[in-house]
Amino acid sequence: MPESSLRVFSLNVNGELRKVKAAADTPLLWILRDELQLTGTKYGCGVGVCGACTVHENGSAVRSCQITVSSAAGRAFTTIEGLAAKTDQLHLHLHSCQQAWIDEDVAQCGFCQPGMIMEAAALLSKHSRPTDADIDSTMSHHVCRCGTYQRIRQAIHRAAEMQSAKPSTGTKTGAKTGGKS
Amino acid sequence: MKVTRRTFLRESSRAAAGLVVGFQLGIPGATSALAKSTRRAAISADPESAAEFAPNAFIRIGTDNVVRLWATRSEMGEGVRTVLPMVLADELGADWEKIVIEQAAMEPRFKGIRLRTSGSGSAAGTWRPLRKAAATAREMLISAAAGKWGVSAESCRAEQGSVVHTESGRHLTFGELADAASRMPVPASPKLKDKKDFHLIGTRVKRRDGQAIVSGSAVYGQDIHVPGMLHAVVARCPYLGGKLVSFDPAPAMKVEGVKYVVPVRSGFATGVAVVAVNNWAAIKGRAALLPVWNKGPNASFDSDTFTREMENALDQPGFALRRDGDAPAVLVASKKKMEALYEYPFQAHAPLETMNCTAHVREGSCEIWVPTQAPEAAQQDAAKLLGIPEDAVKVNVTLLGGGFGRRLQTDYVPEAVEISKAVGAPVQVMWTRDDDMKYGFFHPAKLERLRAGLDEQGLPVAWHHQSSGPHLSLLGPTAEEKKNPNYFADDGMLWGSFDNPYNFAHHWADYTLVESPVPTGPWRAVMYPSTVFARESFLDEIAHAGKLDPIELRLRLLQPGDMRDLKATMINRARLIAVLKTVAEKSGWATTQGSTSDLGSTTAPHEKSGRLWGRGVACNVYDGDCYLAMVAEVSVAKNLSDYKVERVASVIDCGLALNPLGLEAQTESAIAWGMTPVIGGKINFKNAQAQEHSFADFKVPRMSEAPRVETHIIQGADAPGGFGETAVPTVAPAIANAIFAATGKRVRRLPITAEKMRLA
Ligand code: FES
Ligand code: FES
Repeated sequence: MPESSLRVFSLNVNGELRKVKAAADTPLLWILRDELQLTGTKYGCGVGVCGACTVHENGSAVRSCQITVSSAAGRAFTTIEGLAAKTDQLHLHLHSCQQAWIDEDVAQCGFCQPGMIMEAAALLSKHSRPTDADIDSTMSHHVCRCGTYQRIRQAIHRAAEMQSAKPSTGTKTGAKTGGKS
Repeated sequence: MKVTRRTFLRESSRAAAGLVVGFQLGIPGATSALAKSTRRAAISADPESAAEFAPNAFIRIGTDNVVRLWATRSEMGEGVRTVLPMVLADELGADWEKIVIEQAAMEPRFKGIRLRTSGSGSAAGTWRPLRKAAATAREMLISAAAGKWGVSAESCRAEQGSVVHTESGRHLTFGELADAASRMPVPASPKLKDKKDFHLIGTRVKRRDGQAIVSGSAVYGQDIHVPGMLHAVVARCPYLGGKLVSFDPAPAMKVEGVKYVVPVRSGFATGVAVVAVNNWAAIKGRAALLPVWNKGPNASFDSDTFTREMENALDQPGFALRRDGDAPAVLVASKKKMEALYEYPFQAHAPLETMNCTAHVREGSCEIWVPTQAPEAAQQDAAKLLGIPEDAVKVNVTLLGGGFGRRLQTDYVPEAVEISKAVGAPVQVMWTRDDDMKYGFFHPAKLERLRAGLDEQGLPVAWHHQSSGPHLSLLGPTAEEKKNPNYFADDGMLWGSFDNPYNFAHHWADYTLVESPVPTGPWRAVMYPSTVFARESFLDEIAHAGKLDPIELRLRLLQPGDMRDLKATMINRARLIAVLKTVAEKSGWATTQGSTSDLGSTTAPHEKSGRLWGRGVACNVYDGDCYLAMVAEVSVAKNLSDYKVERVASVIDCGLALNPLGLEAQTESAIAWGMTPVIGGKINFKNAQAQEHSFADFKVPRMSEAPRVETHIIQGADAPGGFGETAVPTVAPAIANAIFAATGKRVRRLPITAEKMRLA
């Protein structure tokens, strides 16, 4: 057996230091999904054109399919699973985008939405009140094959309102999904 | 639709005792008489008996008051996992918060029950059987309570998860009654509630999966993880109809993490699977492989050449679809005539979740986890491949990251099964985006030629619609069936030309089947997109030529607003008239667009913000069942360098709208879908290979292209119709008509590009 070409890399994911043994050119996307079982980050294209794999680095949206694990080593990332703040063992404070997504009933198949939400959250951290034009230019790098764009736009405006009303984060989970609107 | 004792199961093996009600409805093929009656039901489109095709709905009420409902359709964004609990809650009188939705799997328990999701039938097909199941459960719970209290059943009612004795106010929860209820006789014909007693149905209810989706915990096919699972990607023959000749596993095996390299004979095309400990190793291993392919008999297939073949075919004899009067003779005799040719290119489905399947083959059995619209076929395919009984194959349906018809095919299932068997471990086969784009069951390309003979006022008196192109390759007529010139008409096809709702004194439609090596299959709205694009564009051309308002023209051609019985389909013209009139009002049609204009062929375009603006209308009847009219508004750069769809207003009548919020969502979605072939979605074949790789070259609408969408619902009829596909077909013609209104440029070949606008 030839010597292993795999190396150990450490990176911070959702506030935890994680060590993974992987080929240096492995995209962060596959590290998250296959090694760390964080499957909320989706594979949609692998070539940077759909946005389904979007995660945060220092609050900015990045495409995990376009970052190799060797370059990701030593950096810190947040995935959709880490976007909501944990208040205790049982409860999460949903991020205002997550809550707004529920309130606007955005999701259809839902597959693109983790990536959309991560992008929108990053947008709102830079523009507290984005215009439609800001939203269009940022979100147009993402694909939603179910065409939920109109509701995404509304949800981003709603999240912006929620954030300006209550500067921290969103509301408690258990927030009724499936409730009447 | 008799309820037998057999349908009433007590699941004593479960930890919690409870009441389980299941419905065994007419399953086609169960007996020949039943099969015949179900077939008839389909033809007469009778909603009552059409439910005989419908699945069972399963309800389980636990002593813990939890009401479990097994969804018998796949959730792919249509909201079925929300709408079924609504129906259940209303008919049963259950507490909404206590309903848990589960996903039915192909396993013995659901044997003989339809789990396939197609034809926009998630709500329409399950509505009646689910209500009957719920009403049965309700009556048994009430009998149980009435028995305990020594009162009459009539004096009790079920609400909010309890049975209440109206007079005394005594009540028992469903959980408290579950055990007793399970011993009650099954009512032969449970009484369904009156519509006015519904609380949830018809209201705006949000998706129950919403929270799981936004927090990333919703489980799709690609998220399945089975202990010991390996990951595979497959190098498939890149040539349509080609074959694997040989391969050397060595270069792939050199990639660290690759465990096996095995041939694949089943599935979409023959190929080689690279099986590894993770996806990345499998992807790299495949890249290192250099399989030798035989290009097969279609090596020179080219879609541009094929378009010319389809054009030539228009003049060859085909299948007769409509034969009212003598359209060709009247056309020849007409002083005024018009003719136009429209093109709809090959389309990919490209759902955001690529095809994938996880299979675990064991000795004599197999378990599958798969995002599919067709779990029955998945089970059959796997059983056949393994040579084991169907009952030995369990198929778990995950959430689907989009279906759109692509997931009615199950080619990804035998692939995964074959590979799992070969390597003796659970295997997840993942398609890359490039795979998904190239190895599809594409929406067939079509050409549509329209001819009309006009009277003095410019109204069409003779109409001839000729279509040519491939049919859906897995459903096409056999050699024997091809000899029957009425093969398509007998089945009500082609949709869009056969069921053309307008009144013409002479009305013909034909279809010339042109075979291609491209695998084709249902794509959202199936046959309607190309036929309706042509039909509704051509009507617009006739309207403008005759200086008639396009809505007014349609209204006139729908007179006298009667029922049109086409045997295979029944068209209610009054409902189409109603949606057209409503869309005229809701879109403000008359405010900017007069019926005639001094600008000649362009009707009242206007300039705003330095761009040209115009509106276009289109309407359609989907399967005799769902009626829609749509107005699109576009703005076009003055130099024709670009256009934007600014707004789409639709009016939809699909019977009883169970959840208007969901219906609006589906309409928004269908509009984005219908825009794909307009703004640039097109699959080009060269040398028997699809040329597109990803969303970089298969252009789909994005946020910046998304119009403002307004959906208005006409709450009609007593039963829900399907609506997942309804809005797709009208999108392309409404936009093309709007572009014409704005610029006077008529583009008849999709996609509509700046270049085509300039050349028009
Ligand atoms: S998967 Fe990374 S952009 Fe599509
Ligand atoms: S919700 Fe299905 S892809 Fe966006």
